[in-house]
Amino acid sequence: MFKRKRSADDFAAEIKAHLELEADELKREGLGDDEAHRMARREFGNVQGARERFYLRGRFERLDKLLRDLRFGLRSLRQSPGFTATVILTLALGIGANTAVFSVMNAVLLRTLPVADPDRLVYLRTSNPPRGTGTIDSNETFSYAVYDALRQQSRGLSPVMAYVPLSGSKVAVRYGAQPEEAEGDMVSGTFFSGLGVNLPIGRGFSEDDEARHAPIAVISYNYWTRRFARDPKILGRALFVNGVAMTMVGVAADGFEGVEGSGSTDFWIPLQNSRELNAWGNPPDDGKLYLANPTWWCMRLIARLAPGISREQAVAQLQPVFQKAAYVGLGSPMAGEKPPTLSLTDAKSFPGYDQMYGDPLRMLMAMVGLVLLIALANVVMLLLARNAARQREFSVRLALGAGRGELLRQLLTESLILVTAGGALAWAFAEMATRLLGQWAQIESSLAPDRTVLLFTLAVLALAGVLFCLAPLRVALAGGAELALKTSAATSNTNAGKSRAGKTIVALQMALCVVLLVGSGLLIRTLRNLENTPLGMQVDGLVVFGVNPNIPSLAEGRVFYRNLTDRLRALPGVESVTLSEERLGSWWSDNNSMRVDGKMPDLPSGASDTVRSNVVGPGFFTTLGVPVLAGRDFADSDTATSPHVGIINEQFAQRFLPNLNPLGHTIGTDNGQYTMTIVGVVKDHKYRSIDEEPIPMAWYEYAQIPMAGAMNVEMRLHGEPLAILPAARKVVQQLDPNLPLIRPMTQRAQFETTISQHVLFARLAGFFGFLAVALVATGLYGSLSYRVSMRTAEIGVRMAVGARRGQVVWMVVRDGLVLMAAGVVVGVPLAMLVGRALTSSLYGVKPLDAVSYLLAVAGVAAVALAASALPAGRAASIDPMRALRTE
Amino acid sequence: MTTQENNDDRIALLQGTLDLLILKTLIHGPRHGQGVARSIQRQSEDVFLVDHGSLYVALQRLEDKEWIGAEWGVSENNRRARFYSLTAKGRERLVEKTGEWRRLTRAMGLILDSSSGLQGEEA
Repeated sequence: MFKRKRSADDFAAEIKAHLELEADELKREGLGDDEAHRMARREFGNVQGARERFYLRGRFERLDKLLRDLRFGLRSLRQSPGFTATVILTLALGIGANTAVFSVMNAVLLRTLPVADPDRLVYLRTSNPPRGTGTIDSNETFSYAVYDALRQQSRGLSPVMAYVPLSGSKVAVRYGAQPEEAEGDMVSGTFFSGLGVNLPIGRGFSEDDEARHAPIAVISYNYWTRRFARDPKILGRALFVNGVAMTMVGVAADGFEGVEGSGSTDFWIPLQNSRELNAWGNPPDDGKLYLANPTWWCMRLIARLAPGISREQAVAQLQPVFQKAAYVGLGSPMAGEKPPTLSLTDAKSFPGYDQMYGDPLRMLMAMVGLVLLIALANVVMLLLARNAARQREFSVRLALGAGRGELLRQLLTESLILVTAGGALAWAFAEMATRLLGQWAQIESSLAPDRTVLLFTLAVLALAGVLFCLAPLRVALAGGAELALKTSAATSNTNAGKSRAGKTIVALQMALCVVLLVGSGLLIRTLRNLENTPLGMQVDGLVVFGVNPNIPSLAEGRVFYRNLTDRLRALPGVESVTLSEERLGSWWSDNNSMRVDGKMPDLPSGASDTVRSNVVGPGFFTTLGVPVLAGRDFADSDTATSPHVGIINEQFAQRFLPNLNPLGHTIGTDNGQYTMTIVGVVKDHKYRSIDEEPIPMAWYEYAQIPMAGAMNVEMRLHGEPLAILPAARKVVQQLDPNLPLIRPMTQRAQFETTISQHVLFARLAGFFGFLAVALVATGLYGSLSYRVSMRTAEIGVRMAVGARRGQVVWMVVRDGLVLMAAGVVVGVPLAMLVGRALTSSLYGVKPLDAVSYLLAVAGVAAVALAASALPAGRAASIDPMRALRTE
Repeated sequence: MTTQENNDDRIALLQGTLDLLILKTLIHGPRHGQGVARSIQRQSEDVFLVDHGSLYVALQRLEDKEWIGAEWGVSENNRRARFYSLTAKGRERLVEKTGEWRRLTRAMGLILDSSSGLQGEEA
């Protein structure tokens, strides 16, 4: 048909010739010229129709064939609903799980920042900060002086943009009367233009806005939607940030939620120069704001490579500028001090996500990959079994004249229907799963599958399709027409039943199952260890929330917190109330070295002199329920004017004051500016997170040290802790109507956020482990029962010649157990490799945890036994006479 | 196997019938489309009314299968026309299809005759 394609014109010419010839003949038969032509045309019928049919003939034929195949395929699948449902469900679970996990991975690790030309964007990094500086992150944050110097040049990077959060968590905002919390950053004037972020309505910032510290704000599209219901009239209205009015001037492009790693930024304001809006919400350090403080490296920098400049060239250009600026206001570097070096890293993708979710996600992807393998293997087995069982049907159809090609096409169509249905269901499943995943992981950026994910899924489906096409190919090529005549139902399939390929697939499935079970076992045990880790305090009954009052002086701060504590204590149901600067279980901690008895501790080499410290209120340990081992807790009587007191934990005492009674010794900051006397030793307890190791700690009393900024309030309550929040909110707003409660939650929930990732991944791993077992169980059951059904005649003969039921049962069960043993032998070493890869995600469990391995093997054995037992029972109950009569 | 498939066969059979008639017509030598139509009509004593549109599609189909060949030529009354002729493959098919058709009609005849007798007895 493809050799020489005849043109439609040629066909038209032929029809024209026909009409002439017919007219000639009619004229010969005695008709007039006109009438003959009319008649010829009438007899021919629809000329145009014939031409269309000529044109479409090939297509119609093919379409018609396809429709016929589809109809036939659907009918034949309907005839075995069990098979069809199993295959579609297996595919949906296997592919759906992969789509879901890939979609998360795509959103978190692969998706690029929604900015123009992200390939030219870089984050600035430093090898180390100069001595004597404080940082947010020792490699990622810079001083304002550095930023100012770098943006002045324009040859290497243009522009250099700074961004710095207004708070470590959320900041108080107000629109109208009700105080709320939101995430906000201060940014360079070039932020939006430099990144190339569009503003669908309103405008962004200019360099002039930055220079003037203009009181204006751009809000994120998400925040605009969530808080303002996309009301365009909000432009020009004021958003009060920490009580300072900021006029909203623009809305950022949909999907742009800042360049911060975690969370999503709700609004941006130009870099400010006011006490209320200091970087990170900190109170001024020594009276200096972040702009004027060369020792506080708190700003993150992102930049665009200047046109035509490579990353290396940019670094070379900027290094001297950077190294000079790093020491502005710090004096010259000490002899032997390693100066900081600037480097640039890719800013294409979201920073921090890889660090946070990279490994667990890659691990999950590997897990669901295994699940997919098992699922595909299952379907292949089912298809092989079904097609083998239909061998006679095929033979008969071949004998009746069906072409081999047609038979194959038929089988392929069936596979296609299965893959399509499974894929559609998988997509729905993945959509649902990603929504749940997003909620669990508290990932705020959208995880919903996008076009990349669709391509991924289609690729997987194509793979499945090809695989399922190869399965029937064998059947269609084997077994000619004569098979139908030669063999009986009971014997025609004995070869297929013993197929080595089938056995190998089942054994491999078992091996994969062992791997998945060991992996999920390790993670679930990790989770249980984490959940049962003693925190060293009575965490139930505690509620915590933050307040960030706008306080001009230390004295007023003390009064504010004193007032707040007193009023909260007076509320009904409140047992005790205390304060802390860093919130427990929030990953935050203040780390530094401390003087002990006036000098820096002299430790055996290698030991760390890091101390974690916190600033807390009176009754801190009593409120938390941390046992005081010696001395006393902070009390209301510890005030700014009373002797300065401190409290340490067991670790501190053991490391810095070994074999001494710590009470009465003094400790202080490393610069010697502040000293206090130890009045209490408390039992070690958890501070930053649940999975931390005990570390030396020291506590200051808030009234005694020069700090007055945001604090967290801890309340111990009788009854439901969260029930107090409305009353507490009222109390806070009586003191200052601008103040929201920041991240109010139970202390337990706060601690649990530090293991939420472990929890999430352990749950998922458990789920996928279970899924794998379910799939392997169905696969094994299917293949074993199929083998037994193929051996009906053989079993009948065996029983007829005197085999006992027990022997027959054993014969079948042994089949399953041999496969299991093979699977375990292959699976255990694989699982050991996986266990080693998981090491960093484990807590309190060794990668070679015997219990997990034993449970995994036991699990697989249980599956093998259960899946063998039913077919074995059926084999044994075969009546020998009936089995033989099936011939 | 099922009723649906018998339906499919019936369509195939009708198609096959026209094909067979065309092949048979061409056994006496090349003919153009109009000639084939006239010939079938005349020889069947006007029982078969050939739909000309279907005829040309059928001719094209046979040509695609290489059972017949075609080339432009000149008719007896000096008109340009496309002449069809039987190929070796087509000749083979003709023999085969004719045999099949004979068997079919014979079988049909056997069944129809015997069943009519039965009906007669009962009536």
